[in-house]
Amino acid sequence: MDMNTVGEITKWIKETDLAEVVYRKNGQGFEIRTEDAPLKAALPSCSYSPVASPAVGIYRSADAGKTRKFGEGTLVHPGDELGYVEVLSEKKPVAASSKGYIRIIAVEDGKPVQYGQPLFFLELA
Amino acid sequence: MTQFTKVLIANRGEIALRVIRTLREMGIKSVAVYSEADRTSMHVREADEAVCIGPAPARGSYLDRNAIISAALNTGAQAIHPGYGFLSENSDFSKAASDAGLTFIGPRPEAIELLGYKSTARALATSHGVPITPGTRDCVGKDFEKEAAKVGYPLMIKAAAGGGGKGMRIVREPSQLKHELHMAQNEARASFSDDGVYFERYVERPRHVEIQIAADQHGNVVAFPERDCSVQRRHQKLVEESPSSAVNHGLRQKLAAAAINLVKASKYYGVGTVEFLLDRDGNYYFMEVNTRLQVEHPVTELVTGMDLVREQIIIAQGGELTVTPEKALKIYGHAIEHRINAEDPDRSFAPCPGMVTEWCVPGGPGVRVDTHVYEGYIIPSYYDSLMAKLILWAPTRELAMQRGLRALGEFHVGGVKTTIPFHQKILQNAEFMSGQVDTGLISRMAEAELASAARK
Repeated sequence: MDMNTVGEITKWIKETDLAEVVYRKNGQGFEIRTEDAPLKAALPSCSYSPVASPAVGIYRSADAGKTRKFGEGTLVHPGDELGYVEVLSEKKPVAASSKGYIRIIAVEDGKPVQYGQPLFFLELA
Repeated sequence: MTQFTKVLIANRGEIALRVIRTLREMGIKSVAVYSEADRTSMHVREADEAVCIGPAPARGSYLDRNAIISAALNTGAQAIHPGYGFLSENSDFSKAASDAGLTFIGPRPEAIELLGYKSTARALATSHGVPITPGTRDCVGKDFEKEAAKVGYPLMIKAAAGGGGKGMRIVREPSQLKHELHMAQNEARASFSDDGVYFERYVERPRHVEIQIAADQHGNVVAFPERDCSVQRRHQKLVEESPSSAVNHGLRQKLAAAAINLVKASKYYGVGTVEFLLDRDGNYYFMEVNTRLQVEHPVTELVTGMDLVREQIIIAQGGELTVTPEKALKIYGHAIEHRINAEDPDRSFAPCPGMVTEWCVPGGPGVRVDTHVYEGYIIPSYYDSLMAKLILWAPTRELAMQRGLRALGEFHVGGVKTTIPFHQKILQNAEFMSGQVDTGLISRMAEAELASAARK
């Protein structure tokens, strides 16, 4: 395969949302992989790191009758639960994506949220 | 009768936009749902509200029942329009929506199950005198020769566990039967580790003809003029038209009566489509029911002046159909739909996702374009490749074809390959022009092209 073809293919891939294209010749076949879109917040870049909602539903900072375990300034670690999103009867935990201090809380308890909506902003530590 | 004030559309692309348009005309607010790959889609822009429900792969978004119902509850929508594909024929989704206090704009879950599954629908058809392709009920055994004679020739051997053409053989004469049966059983055993096969009458060069129906909750049922969807590539419809050149008034009445019969028997309400195979002698065989709005519904809208989405919403609200059975079957002129896909016809219709750098759609008399595409839009690779439906109306079939050629010539798309040139070839194909189409047309066209390329 000559370099011009490689260039053409590279150019074309940039126009698509494909993550990987594998092509074999005589053994035939084709393999195309699309990246499952990563959980990222719908915001332009920002020095704080967002924590996105994992689902569409109602945000709860804690179970009814329990107190929430975090607030502005809390240091969280990856995987720490920052409440959950209630999707019908299912609870989907909101997990901190990185280690950092909670600087902005962008969601209210009991309010509807969308998939990918930024709920918290962390100052990375 | 309940009046919806807000409806969520559980779909994407052109059909989501199509539904939003009718909702707006009816003064009903619309809620679009979208995956992360569709953030820039036109349906998101045109809806009154939009909710992101999940990641790009459909199983986490457009196929996620709970996410969609949750979005409807969050936005205060009273009803969900499923469009076509995705969850539109999913009885569990219809039931889950009702359980959450929402109206599913479509049939009851029981009716979806009864008519949507091929085997139960065929049994219902048989018990109501609607003809189905003759065949053996079960797998054939030692008396296969007798069974074959009963079904009649030519017949098709099909694998019971099968699909995808594996274990399928066409037998034209009794003398070939034993050999072909043996071959089919071997193939079936190799593919599905089950050598059970059954016989079905093979309909030679069939047409695919379907009847659009609408039924309300008060027992009113109407059938609209047939659509001919014979121009298919591997069971994928490419061109649809109404009326069919193979259906006369008498046959139309029979098809309509058969469709109405099935709908009434299943206490179905909503819109739906009853599909038939038509052989060259005018015999028709029931195939299946699609319990939803079809991609090709606009051809019916153009020859009847109806808005089928509006009827769907009225039916779901508990209202009565706005048309009588007599009026519904009246045909005004001729309509042809071309599905414009982002595919490369020269590379066996490989999907061609990417950025649309030029997008000029045709216009003028008798031209309707249903699309969600715009200049700069990136066609995601996650979903189907339908870019637009170009639908032409004219007083006669001949004029509709001329209008089609004119409109396809005005359709300029840059950045991705489309099926536009292929549609131009279809409109200039002698068989298509004469109206003598059958489901084998596209493969014959492909063969002819290969042969002419080989000569060059």
